[in-house]
Parts: sequence; structure tokens; C-alpha cells
Amino acid sequence: MTASFDLNPRRLVEPGEPATAMEIKLRRRSRLSSGIRYGVLLVFGLIMLYPLIWLIGASFKTNAEIFASPSFWPENPTLSGYIKGWETSTPYTFGRFFWNTFLIITPKVIGTAISCTLVAYGFARFDFPGKKILFATVIATLLLPNVVTRIPQYLLFRDIGWLDSFLPLWVPSAVAGDAFFVFMLIQFLRAIPRDMEEAARVDGANTLQTLVYIVVPLLMPAIISVCLFQFMWTMNDFLGPLIYISSVEKYPVSLALKLSIDTTEAFDWNQILAMSVLALAPSLAVFFLAQKYFIEGISTGGVKG
Amino acid sequence: MAELQLKSVEKTYGSGFKAVHGIDLTVQEGEFMVLVGPSGCAKSTTLRMIAGLETITGGEIRIGDRIVNDIVPGKRGIAMVFQNYALYPHMKVRNNLSFGLRLKGRPKPEIESATGDVSRVLEIEQLLERLPKQLSGGQAQRVAVGRALIKQPEVFLFDEPLSNLDAKLRAAMRVRITDLHKKLKAEGRPATVVYVTHDQVEAMTMGDRICVMREGHIMQVADPTTLYERPANAFVAGFIGMPEMNLLDALLIMEGETPYLTVGEQTIRVDEGLSERLTTGSGPVKLGIRPQHVEILPEGTDNTLSGTVTNVEFLGHEINLHLSVGAEAFVAVVPGDRLASVPGRGKTVALRPAGSRIHLFDRQTEQNISLG
Amino acid sequence: MGGDSKYLGYLYVAPYVAGLLLFTAFPFAASFYLSFTDYDLLSTPKWTGLDNYTKLFTRDRTFDRSLTVTLLYVFMTVPVKLAFALLVAVILNYRLKAINFFRTAYYVPSILGGSIAIAVLWRYIFAEAGLVNMIIGIFGLEPVNWFGDPSNALITITLLRCWQFGSAMVIFLAALQSVDKSLYEAASIDGANQWHLFRYITLPLITPVIFFNLIMQTVQAFQEFNGPYIITQGGPLKSTYLLPLYIYDKAFKSFDMGYASAIAWVLFAIIMVLTLIAFWSSKKWVYYAGDKRS
Repeated sequence: MTASFDLNPRRLVEPGEPATAMEIKLRRRSRLSSGIRYGVLLVFGLIMLYPLIWLIGASFKTNAEIFASPSFWPENPTLSGYIKGWETSTPYTFGRFFWNTFLIITPKVIGTAISCTLVAYGFARFDFPGKKILFATVIATLLLPNVVTRIPQYLLFRDIGWLDSFLPLWVPSAVAGDAFFVFMLIQFLRAIPRDMEEAARVDGANTLQTLVYIVVPLLMPAIISVCLFQFMWTMNDFLGPLIYISSVEKYPVSLALKLSIDTTEAFDWNQILAMSVLALAPSLAVFFLAQKYFIEGISTGGVKG
Repeated sequence: MAELQLKSVEKTYGSGFKAVHGIDLTVQEGEFMVLVGPSGCAKSTTLRMIAGLETITGGEIRIGDRIVNDIVPGKRGIAMVFQNYALYPHMKVRNNLSFGLRLKGRPKPEIESATGDVSRVLEIEQLLERLPKQLSGGQAQRVAVGRALIKQPEVFLFDEPLSNLDAKLRAAMRVRITDLHKKLKAEGRPATVVYVTHDQVEAMTMGDRICVMREGHIMQVADPTTLYERPANAFVAGFIGMPEMNLLDALLIMEGETPYLTVGEQTIRVDEGLSERLTTGSGPVKLGIRPQHVEILPEGTDNTLSGTVTNVEFLGHEINLHLSVGAEAFVAVVPGDRLASVPGRGKTVALRPAGSRIHLFDRQTEQNISLG
Repeated sequence: MGGDSKYLGYLYVAPYVAGLLLFTAFPFAASFYLSFTDYDLLSTPKWTGLDNYTKLFTRDRTFDRSLTVTLLYVFMTVPVKLAFALLVAVILNYRLKAINFFRTAYYVPSILGGSIAIAVLWRYIFAEAGLVNMIIGIFGLEPVNWFGDPSNALITITLLRCWQFGSAMVIFLAALQSVDKSLYEAASIDGANQWHLFRYITLPLITPVIFFNLIMQTVQAFQEFNGPYIITQGGPLKSTYLLPLYIYDKAFKSFDMGYASAIAWVLFAIIMVLTLIAFWSSKKWVYYAGDKRS
């Protein structure tokens, strides 16, 4: 419960002068405060992360060992969990399931990036009749629990014959259906001064050329954030595939994992855990490579929103 | 190069606020026209309407022989230098300059040579491979000018381009811009320029003609000398010239052909041809006299106004003597070498405004009634 | 700008409008209609008026149970999650060198937590012979029957959600860091101690963010599906049978679309009412520093 400024005791002492009792006390208090914080954060952080650490370690254990001790370190590390888990008990390997996930994520992320940029540009840079109302719908959709729309959406996709395909999973996003991203890009755009776009118009660019050559490069960090978030969310998406995909050969990773719990013998946990690690790996990798885009994106959406 | 014409141009915003009230202006081919006025006078709005960055809600704007109201900025034949330069931050200087030409699909050799020419003229050749963030203020400014120059537009627009620079740089850039204008004229490619500024020094030193604006209206359009010596109204008189012209409430009383001016409790008689210049008779007026045109005389001299010294500002080459005449503030400028003879604070002095330099403005309409 | 058609903007938002009508507005209206019908996907929907709703509120014990459990879940997870997020953000908001490391460490669970993989992991670690019981055993306590005992199962999924406080924490941290330092300095000179600084400066200035997080977390909590579905399948004895699960079962297992829509609308109404209460109450406690509503 402290403010984020602190009196730096070092600055109170002229170099060369002996430290007074006051300075020593402040310095000690500052170090103590830091120490306590570090301690708490470290301990709590370890508790928080232990399930993940354990998960990775356990994926290299044998089944017997998993149930033997709470330690995460495998005594006899083995890849059998990975090898057998990859095979799965279906005619397909996990490779197939990852490929399916890829087939969903790629058009979804690309579609989202393009459509949300176009729409955000429209809202942020143009005035047109009914704009206020339309923008209000963006906010409304943001807060809308989509439990209400799920059933009719299913019926709609059934009627146009898109069941058991990937289309229902990415097409709505490709038409700027995710209000969160539209909103986030609009907020970023509002912070960019229009001078350069005006200069581009004077240079002879039309609105589309201005968007592509001037705005997009400036907006790139935000667009990357959007892509990263959409990637993560889609990797975790379960209910969507659950409703729309019925053939096992089209299962993405999330459904495949569920399948493996249903079909695998109760004591083959190391296989399940190994595949879980693989399922999480892309998200983790992407996150660590692009951390700052995540933090930037979520901060702008949340704080300036 | 082309002539620019504004006819009854108006700008009313969606909220109902009318920023520009039917202005008429003609800028000759090759002329350097300065739009000047205090903030809120709508000079930038007017400039942006010429550029097409604001829509025109009334009247028409003509560039050359075309009415450009409904033409997009890129096709009006204009180029603009922005206050914040508006350089494309992700492009090198070279590409900033050539962006417009590349959009038009001009052949590469043409783009190369145009870029080379412009960067030579503005002395930015060594900056071509840099990014805008690696440029100093002055360098960025020159690149912005270069971007405009390379398009060889019919009209050049400048939106307070020097206000982000420090005083010294501003003075240097002023000269550079006017030199460029003269150079183009000498080469047979005279540039029509509309230049917006709030700084009357820039206006006076750069403009062929100056358009003084106030709250969306044009107060006067004339060359610098005329504006200084023959201001059409009290606003222009007070705006142009440093220090500002003194404007005192007074009563003009004509006794036959002789004008008498009563300021507060005091009355003076004005000779030197003032009566020949007057266009109206007795009435309430504003007495305008520039600080440089006031004589300080020994106390008690006949036919003078009496003032009390409130402050003495020594500037080296001259002295600003702040006075209180009646209840109003008044400034007289005195040569710097007379510091010893200048009375101190609280002392009384005798003032006589030079009759040939007095301007009288109708108290109601603020129009100059002494232009003859 | 001059020369631009005033309808140019429409061109850019067109995809959104199309999507809005097709995938949001139309389904929204349709689900309302469906809630007053009996629809089993085979024949056309049959209008039944308020039948679904009356059954829901008077004769459906499963619904009562599900509603209770859902409300319990939301009112447990949201305050706990926000409290942790704020607490950790406050602790982190100090000139520590490793702030980025810790921020990442706490954020990672929230990016992975919604996934099936983590739900699977949770199923293991709370199993009879799983990790949690093993650790409890080390402290000499009896192993807990997490999934067999109705009173414990809800706790497991509550913990799962609270574990993911990282995303809310990051937002709080950004807000805390955007508070003008000179305010703390001025208050200190006025004699404020650490608690005063937090209570009278920090807290009021971040109320907009608290409000934002509160709304987002509540709306999300009401729609939790993955966790209970994978870990407990809604059991035991429906002690973790959240409304989204009930809706799913009715719609995609029993194909009772009309009834499912009615449940969905009740859930929606609850969320809306709570959101509106939050908005209304926000006037009392949310402080906006430079309101720039456009």
C-alpha cells in the first residue's frame, strides 16, 4: 500500500558528509520495504507458477512417478508421454490436430487485422450520418454476453451449410466481428495526430492510399497486439469448435485434448500432460517473443478506454 | 503558378458556430500574401479551406481558372507546409520528398532528378538518407518546405511554419523562405504563396501584401507600408507596429477648420494638416499615435498633454517610457542616448503627438476618419 | 475534407455493419423470439408464449440449482480476483528492478488459463491422488475429496478463475503508474502517511479502471464454460453446473432450442441488470479526472 515514489536517502547526503541518523533510518526502511516486497512477490509468484512448472516436468515423467511425489523434477526423464500422446488413440496424430488449428487461426488472424483496421479507420477519421449510433453499437457489443447469440448463430450456420467446417469459427471475426479489437484500434488511432494524413492527402493520396502507406505503419504496434491477442484467444477457443465441428479429422487441438481425456486409459496421464504442454507451447512462445505488445495493448484498452 | 481567388467564403461548423464570415481576397500570381491575426481569427481555417482540408460551407475558391470547392486536396494544385512539419516518420527524407511523385507514378529518373534539385536548393542533400526523428527542427522544416517545392504547385500554403522554432532559427528561416520566393521569381517561376502567422514581425518582413484578420473577418489587405502608415481601422492600427500604437479615448471638437482633441480633462490643438485629412466632423473618437511619434517636452510647455511616468524600460538603442495619461496607459519611445534626461517614476512629463502622424478612429465603428 | 463524399466513411465500416446485422443483431432478435417457442430442429418452431419462462421459474429444480451455483461462483470469484489483482499491482508499483519479470510471471497464467490444457491440468492436480493433496499431505493434513464432495468442487473452479488475475493486474498496474507522482509529493508535504496516500489519492484516481475491470470480469464470469465442463462436468450433484453448461446441454444435447434460449435470456437479463446497477452506482464512486466523452 505504498505510493510509487520514495525518498531516496542517498540524495539527502552531500558526498563526503557522514550520514545522519535520519538518513540511515530512511535508507534502512527503504531497503526493508524493497526486501519485503521482493520476498512476497517471489513466494507468491512461485506458488502461482508451480502448476505450470510441475506440468512441464511431469510431462517427462512416467505415470507411476507422477503420482509418487509433488516434486516437478523427473527422476527418470522419458519422452514416452510425448511419443505415445502424439499418436493418440484415433487414426490421426496430434500433427493433424495442430494443422487444423492452424487452418482456423490463419484466416482468423489475418481477417481480423485487415477488417478491424479498416473499420477503426472509418470510425476514427470520418464523419458520416449515424456514426454516433453505430459507434454505440460497438460499445454495446463489447459488453454483450454472447451466450444470447450463440444458438441462433448455430442455426444460421446450419441453414447455410457451414456446420462441421471451420468457416463459422473465423468468418465473423473477418468482418470485424470482435468489437474489442475495433475499439482498441480506435483508441490507438485517436492518439495519432492527423497532420501526416493531411500531408498525404495534399500529396495526392486518396483515403485508401493514406491508410495503407501512412496510417498502417504508424498503427503497426497496435495491429500486432490485435493479432497476438486473437492468436491466443483462438488457441484457447473450445466452445466454438465444440459446437461446430463434429468430425474428428477436423478437430483442432482444444477438442483433441478433450478427446484424449475421454478415451485415454485413466493411468496414462503423462500422455495427456505431454500433449497439454504441446498445446500451450505456441501461446507461450508467442507471448514471450512479443511481451511488450501484449502489455501495451491491454493497458491501452483498459486504462485509456 | 496561378492566381488565387476567394469569393464570399464562409465556414460554419456543424454546431452552428460561424468561424469565417464571407471573406473576399485575391492573391495575384507570384504574390507572397500573409494572413495574420490573433488566435481565433480563423486564418488557419481559411488556409485549410484553400487546401481542401476543411470543407467550404459558403462562397467559392478559385485557383487559376478552376473552382476548387469540390476538388480533393491532392488535385487542387496546392502544396502545404505544416506547423508541425507532418513528415512521414517511417520514411527516409528522400522518400518523404518523393512520396507525391511516386503516388502519381512518375518515372524513376524524373523522381531522382527532382529530389536532387530540391535538396540542393534547400541544402538538405546530406540528410536524404535520414529518418525525420534524426533531424533538428530547422532541418525538418527545410524538408517540409522541400516536400512542397518538389510538387511545383500552383499555390504554396504555409501554416505557421516557424512557430515551433527558437527565435534565432526563426529569423534565419524567414530570410531563407523569402530568398527562395525571390529566387523562383528571378528564374521565371514565380510562386503564389499564402502564409499564415500570428507574428506581425514575420508578416511585415515577408509579405508583399498582408491580410489582417479578426474573428473570421478581413480587417484590411495592403502592403506593409500602407498598413503601417494608413491603417483602415483601430484594430489594424493596434496590431501592426511595435510597441503598439497608443489608442486613447478622446473627443474631437472642430472649431471652424481647427481640430481640438480633449483627452480626459486635457485639450490640445492639432495642426500640421490634420484637418485636411479628416473625413468627418466633431464627435467621440479614438486618438491613435505611435510611441515613436510623440515628442517629450519640458514640463509646462504650451499645447501638450500631461502624463505621469509609471515605468522606464531601457533597451539599449531606445527607451520605452510608460506613462499614465488621464487614466489610460501610454507608451512613448525615446532614443537610447537620452536616458539621462528621462524623468523617473512618478514624475510628470509634457507630451505632444506629431500632428502629421495622428490617426483618429470613429469610436463606434473604429474606422479611420483621418485618411484624407 | 473538401471533395470527399460524406458517405466515404460508410465504405470503411461496411464490413462491420454487414457482420453486425448478420451475426449479432439478427441472432440477438432471433434468440428472443425462440425463447417463446418450442423448437427441436426437426420441425418449425412452435409458438408457446410464456410457457418456457413459467416452467423455468416454477418447475425447474435444475435451473434453481444452476442459478444458485452461478451466482455463488460470480460473487466469489470477481471480488477475490480483483482484490488480488489490485493488491499485487500495488506491491509491484514500486521502483523494483525486476518489475517486468514479476509482471510477466503473474500474467502468464491468465493467457493460458482459459485453455483446455490448463483445465486438464486442474483435473489432475485436484484429483484424489493429485498434486494438491500430495502437498497437503506434506503438512500432515488429510487429503481433501475435491471432486466427489459437492461443497469442494466449486472451489476448484473458483481457484482456476482467480489464478488468472494477471490480466486485470496488468491493467491496474498501468493505471497506478499513470497517476501523477507530484500528487503524492504534495500530499506527503501536507502530512499524509502511506495509508492516506493510498486511500485518498491512489484509490479515487483509479476508480475508472476498477469500474472497467469490475464490469469486464463480471460479464466474463457469468459466461464461464471451459473450466466446469472439462474439470467437473458440472458435478458432483450439479454443484458446478453453471448456467452456460445448462444452456449448452439443453441446446446441443437435448436440442430443446426454445427452452435453452429462454435460459440464455434470463442469464442475459441478470448480467444486464447487474451491469446497469454498476453503471448507476458508478456516479457515486467513480471519479473521472478529465472527462473527454466524445
